[in-house]
Amino acid sequence: MQSRGVANPWALQPLRASDLRYVGLYRVNPVLERIALHQTRLHTPGLGLDAKGVALGAKGLVLLPSIDRLVAFLAVYTRERSLEDLMPSLVMHVVRSKLGTREITLEVAAESSDRMDRLADTARLVGGFTFTGTSRHFVQYRDAAAPFGYDATELLSTDAALLLYHDRFSQTYDVERPIGLRPLLLRLMPHVDPSTKEEPGLRILVAEQGLGPALVHYLVRSRVEGDVGVAEWPPESAFDDAPVRRWVLRVPELPDRMRELVHGTPGITAFVPVGTGVAVEAGYRHPIELRACPVFDAAGLVLVRGRGDEPWSIPKLPPMGTLSAFARVELRTAGGEAAVATGAAPAETVRVPLRVTPSSGPWRNVTATWVAPQQLPLLRKLAYALPHATVAQARIAITTRGAFVRSAAGIEAVPLGTFYVEVHPGLYVPAGHEVTPAVAPEVLARALGAPASQALFLTTEGRAIAVEDAAFVPLETALLEAPAWEAVVAEAIERALDEEPLKLEVTSAGLMPLRGVEPQQG
Amino acid sequence: MAPLVLGGALRAGHAIGTKASLALGAEGTVDVLDAALYDRVQTARVRRARRLTPVDTVGLPSSAEWAMAAALHDVLQSANPGLDAALRRAAAVRILELAHQTIEHVPPPAHTGEALSRHTWMARVLDLAREDTSVSWWTGSRTFRGVSPPGRLTAWPHLRRVNVVTTPRPLLELEPLAVDREKLAAAVSLLLARTPLTDLATCARTAPAFAWNESALALVATRAGRTLALRALAQAPASPVDVALGRATRELLTNRRAQAAPAIALLAERTLALAQTAPGSLGGRPDGAFARGIGAAAALRMLRESESEWPEEERRRLITVLESAGRTDAVREAAAMLEGAS
Repeated sequence: MQSRGVANPWALQPLRASDLRYVGLYRVNPVLERIALHQTRLHTPGLGLDAKGVALGAKGLVLLPSIDRLVAFLAVYTRERSLEDLMPSLVMHVVRSKLGTREITLEVAAESSDRMDRLADTARLVGGFTFTGTSRHFVQYRDAAAPFGYDATELLSTDAALLLYHDRFSQTYDVERPIGLRPLLLRLMPHVDPSTKEEPGLRILVAEQGLGPALVHYLVRSRVEGDVGVAEWPPESAFDDAPVRRWVLRVPELPDRMRELVHGTPGITAFVPVGTGVAVEAGYRHPIELRACPVFDAAGLVLVRGRGDEPWSIPKLPPMGTLSAFARVELRTAGGEAAVATGAAPAETVRVPLRVTPSSGPWRNVTATWVAPQQLPLLRKLAYALPHATVAQARIAITTRGAFVRSAAGIEAVPLGTFYVEVHPGLYVPAGHEVTPAVAPEVLARALGAPASQALFLTTEGRAIAVEDAAFVPLETALLEAPAWEAVVAEAIERALDEEPLKLEVTSAGLMPLRGVEPQQG
Repeated sequence: MAPLVLGGALRAGHAIGTKASLALGAEGTVDVLDAALYDRVQTARVRRARRLTPVDTVGLPSSAEWAMAAALHDVLQSANPGLDAALRRAAAVRILELAHQTIEHVPPPAHTGEALSRHTWMARVLDLAREDTSVSWWTGSRTFRGVSPPGRLTAWPHLRRVNVVTTPRPLLELEPLAVDREKLAAAVSLLLARTPLTDLATCARTAPAFAWNESALALVATRAGRTLALRALAQAPASPVDVALGRATRELLTNRRAQAAPAIALLAERTLALAQTAPGSLGGRPDGAFARGIGAAAALRMLRESESEWPEEERRRLITVLESAGRTDAVREAAAMLEGAS
């Protein structure tokens, strides 16, 4: 067996490294040594020192003993930060040791020791080990005992896909199969959590085909605003000859009196949105913060159900209509077409000016921010730190009043300026504020009278700023200030055609400069 | 001859003399010893010719071109600083006389193609310069004319406080000279007269001053020659060209008025081209006003002729432009001189 030291690392977790360094007179794991300050030469291939002197390879690797530890790792990590920056390089595998034990590895690009420190802290909390390396050889990442990390002085010679060197063990692993993040998230059963039923905000209701019309009419009669559409799923069994149709309703504010109805009626399932393109059944909570996992398509919808039921996935949301469009229609049978007015009198003025007042309501649908001109330099600096997904999704309009940045997926990643909530398409109200008098957003949009091609931003003083939709350009195109370039080809051609200076060099005229020099005769 | 076209170091060897110079290439065939170098030279000559006209090949060097190159070699040898010594100056004078004699034996170009061919060889003759290097160090100084200073004199530059100053000296500003500078300039001027396209293309030079000679007038008297000359002149800065052409044409009108027609036609077409493409530049420097004025007067006369080939609208526009530009004293003087010439 190629592995040295202890083959099963998990059995040794209660022990300390110092306990394992020597067993009797024999060194158990002699291959790892601490990196000293100002050390420059490392033995492990692909291992280098970053600016702080910490040993770092191109990748970071977290070794976890089982799937439940992996879930715990993801749950802890996503509680405070998003996986967005890890996603491009995140790879998870089930690996198999020489003894046949199966463990889990999670690999990410080790871009900095800060990222690796976060991973190591989280891994330590859930009982995992953190390594760093580049291709096959991974050494233990730094800890309190070795602030600059470790280096493997003796490398194992084997064909295994992974060779991990730890101060407690050295082990080789072969990759058995990959683990996809999205399939993992969808296979996890949500925990029972009745408190989510009482959470305010948007609800997505899914009603079976027979219940849909009745539910829609009930909501219309109760003057509940919302959108409705019909989604189709393939037949559940070969005996069904038609696809399964269900009504999907999006209700921004479900009245409290109706909660019992939507949660208790068989055939109606309520879901609470927990991120872009994903919602979890009310009464359940997913073990991982799905908002931090950018694996769901914003154009579709994944509905995670409780009780171990298979999630419902809608790859592309069906067309949605407003609930009011389904209101019952009745035709008048008597009387003329219209009563014609015989005179006009000025209407009594009851209009009051618009006010924007602070509100204690929760912030939802924060999709825009207004960056004042004096904060624009800060935005330029921040641009270097923005993740790619944010840069790709956000659109920006530069005006004389500052920059307006919009992102349908949420603007939290740009922590600058005044945040805005989109209360109606193209109408934005400062986050944490509400409009008084408390008119419906449609009424407010109609009263402001802005054309559909303009986005209106209300200030806290009650004024409105209109920005042309056409002025919004993708942030990624607005950010980059491309350096001027020169046509090297033209320069090369010019150089090729350039003429060498004509230089007169003096040589000796000789002792007899006129020897053999003759005039023309005749 | 290759460095004269390609650039780089040009070394004058033992003097050739008139007899040997005129015998070079007289048989009409030349054995090419270095084919690669020959190809590079021919390519560079084609490139030079294509600045003026779209030709794809140039011929072998003619006996006249061999003779001109040999004469230039002797002119350069006569300016060798090694000959500026007692008992050696007479040799330099004799070499220059023989070079002058060689050039006199070279006939003017018989047609525009020959003028173009000679220009491809001699276009850079006035770019010839010798690099004189003055080296001074903490205990002395020394000047090296046309040769590089030895490495031992420039070693340890900081410690020995070495200061190296390199000064390029054009052919007619070389010193010390064993020959009379005026005679050297006359030889170069005669050489330029044998290649009139080069003479016209470099008319803005400081020395030898441009003057209309028979071969230049014969070249611009033909339609093709005038076109080549106009293209060559257009590649030089306009103001110095106007000054040189104005001075030479004034002299021509004063002394040889009967031969002035080709020069006036050249100036007229040059002014017409300016009026068509850049009417604002007709003003220019005051000392170039005579050339532009005489060109404007001749162009106006050409446009007012009843059988003018110009479209009527364009003709009127050009007349307006030229009349508005020709209200200065210099132009009136040129016009009066032109009236007198006709």
